Amino acid sequence: MSNTQHADNITVAMARFINDGERVFHGVASPMPAIAIQLAKKLHAKNAVYVSIAGGVDSTPSQFSSVSTADATLREKAVVEFPLSDIFDLSARGALDVAFLSGAQIDGQGRLNLSAIGSFDEPKVRLPGGAGSAALLPSVKRGILWKTNHDKRGLVDKLDVVTAAGNTELVITPLAIFKRADSDDRLQLYATFPGVTVEQVVENTGFPVEQHENYHEFPPITDEEQQLLAAIDPDGVRYSEFR
Amino acid sequence: MSKQQSLQEAVSSIKDRSLLALGGNALHRSPIAFVEELIRQGKKELAVIKTAGALDIDLLAAAKSLRSVYAGYIGFEMLGLAQNYRKGVQNGEVTVHEHACASVIAGLRASIYGVPFQPINGFQGSELPELTGLVKYVTCPFTEEKTAVVPALRPDVTVIHANIADEKGNAYVDGALFEDEIMVKAAKRVIVTAEKIIDSQAWDVTPQIPGFLVESVILAEKGAAPGSCAPLYTIDEKAVVAYLKDPASYVEKVKGAVSHV
Repeated sequence: MSNTQHADNITVAMARFINDGERVFHGVASPMPAIAIQLAKKLHAKNAVYVSIAGGVDSTPSQFSSVSTADATLREKAVVEFPLSDIFDLSARGALDVAFLSGAQIDGQGRLNLSAIGSFDEPKVRLPGGAGSAALLPSVKRGILWKTNHDKRGLVDKLDVVTAAGNTELVITPLAIFKRADSDDRLQLYATFPGVTVEQVVENTGFPVEQHENYHEFPPITDEEQQLLAAIDPDGVRYSEFR
Repeated sequence: MSKQQSLQEAVSSIKDRSLLALGGNALHRSPIAFVEELIRQGKKELAVIKTAGALDIDLLAAAKSLRSVYAGYIGFEMLGLAQNYRKGVQNGEVTVHEHACASVIAGLRASIYGVPFQPINGFQGSELPELTGLVKYVTCPFTEEKTAVVPALRPDVTVIHANIADEKGNAYVDGALFEDEIMVKAAKRVIVTAEKIIDSQAWDVTPQIPGFLVESVILAEKGAAPGSCAPLYTIDEKAVVAYLKDPASYVEKVKGAVSHV
């Protein structure tokens, strides 16, 4: 499967998981969530409320920056201000529905590490830091995580550092979608993308893979979704995380 | 009396080991001209507060002017890791006081409110409180609920870059204000660099930054470049990529340049 197909799959999956009326946030370095939110708002989630670091509510960008998702393009057509500090407060009081977050490492409970590879105090690799995740993930209603690679280095049994933990509901990768079980907070294999086998997922995942009771093959991207993606993001900024 | 100063004058007032807060977010509207003058003047062991930093922090690390960082994220978003910051941390030159962006804001708010710490809802299940010592727990005296608290962050100097300022220090940001207003209110001193300086009688927009909190104002055209200052200019991707490929040359160029303002 090509990287462009991976990016389209992940973006469409993100969009499908946004429910109508939900308040949805993404942070820095998040082109796929930014585009997925626009897609969802054109399809089944017209009343979703979009907030971001750029500070405007419900913007409709005419284009996306391939460098940044705190960019002024993400303010286009927004009519009211809602700065980042207000977004954190919104989440803190239990009033933010969805936050898109990522991690260099994600474990089987949907916890994430964006702090360091190796030890925190003497890291082999110092990572960027968890941005808002340590505050958002415990308080947002639904944390949706993604990774642009699916391997045992990134999907691990044990995190080097637990940067953030909390309400991870879904983890989306180029191969599959994991969903947290209601019973024990463990991620379970919820869907595989077309052409991916369960064995492939098991082989490339560092934590034990159990199948979710509603496991299924991800329904392929529809023509309507594909056309809208092309219209929303003609420059292919959603592919920029894969370069 | 006008608060306008030259960049050199304003930067010369910054002491080594100062705790600075820098406005903007990631590659957007960060006071890069000011940071470059800090480097030219050979400032040492600076500590910097930022929610999400990029070129500002990495440049200070590359120039060996950085002692520590209080921030949630330091990176170049889709352009990759902040390599000089990363190396500085890995070889022990730079201390990371890793925050969540929200707890940076909470710490600044404590200073705004004039209190020593700020309760925050967050960090449940995170190892950061234990690893950084920046989050502790108190029992609410009213409800007996266990509550996370972070210490006040009180910048010695907050530096922001604005679109327009006047000679009294009033300043207007066109577009996302990010955490600039919070950083301004939390600081002991405030310096504003601006794309344009106008007469305080000539405003046709309403400034968000109150001049009476601002100590000095500096004209710095393209003062956030190669980052963005909306709507005047966007990120100069080529220049940022060139920096990432060869930060040493970039720093040499900064050191060799005479301040352009």
